Amino acid sequence: MATRMFSNLVLRGIAQSRVSRSSMVGQGLTYSTRISGDSDTHEDFQPTNKLKDSGISIQDVVQQDVKENPVMIYMKGIPDAPRCGFSALAVKVLQQYGIPISARNILENPALKEGVKAFSNWPTFPQVFIKGEFVGGSDIVLNMHQNGQLKELLSDIKNASAKP
Amino acid sequence: MASRSSNMLSRANRIRQKLQAALEASVLEVEDVSYQHAGHAALKGEEPNESHFNVKIVSPNFDGQSLVKRHRMVYDLLADELKTGLHAISIVAKTPQESGLPKS
Repeated sequence: MATRMFSNLVLRGIAQSRVSRSSMVGQGLTYSTRISGDSDTHEDFQPTNKLKDSGISIQDVVQQDVKENPVMIYMKGIPDAPRCGFSALAVKVLQQYGIPISARNILENPALKEGVKAFSNWPTFPQVFIKGEFVGGSDIVLNMHQNGQLKELLSDIKNASAKP
Repeated sequence: MASRSSNMLSRANRIRQKLQAALEASVLEVEDVSYQHAGHAALKGEEPNESHFNVKIVSPNFDGQSLVKRHRMVYDLLADELKTGLHAISIVAKTPQESGLPKS
């Protein structure tokens, strides 16, 4: 609970593709912790790392994301405005299934980007997690779409969201 | 000779060498598609050359491995490249059986 509230505070919530509107564009990770490249800056004047100070790591946030969002994608840009062809492809494939897709834009937060890479031990984006499990990048998602595995994997999510 | 000059080779050639040596690939196609990503938002301020590749590999080592594991094998072999500006690899990884007869 505390983690959820905290990650919303720090990471400004998750873009939900189903409810996303143009007003969502530009939102996302505005409160990203910027790493100062200026080594001369006194530590008092460096941006504070809220995650570090709180004792909650990016890893915890990612853990929470993938646990609470049946379909979670870490991508370049947001579902309505992807900023990389591979991220666009992954979103497009997932959107075929009419399920809610949760997304975070890793371009806006270098710490999140590195954290997700470490979490999944996967070096590139997009990264798709379904029901808490790491699925892969756009190649794998497309492949699973073509061979029917994705439909099977997502079938109970669709059912779940149809419940009252 | 090849090892001495390995840093002088194009990234495509380094990728080819690394994958060939480790995976005993019967088919190995490495295509530099960085030009397709010129002006890529994610590459702002970074070297846009040799950043995106399509790789097709047929290797007996993929036998019995999930897609995720196959991709991880490739990523692990190319860890140094990923640290030095390689942004994305589109990977087709098949076993000799899966690849079947060569197309066309």
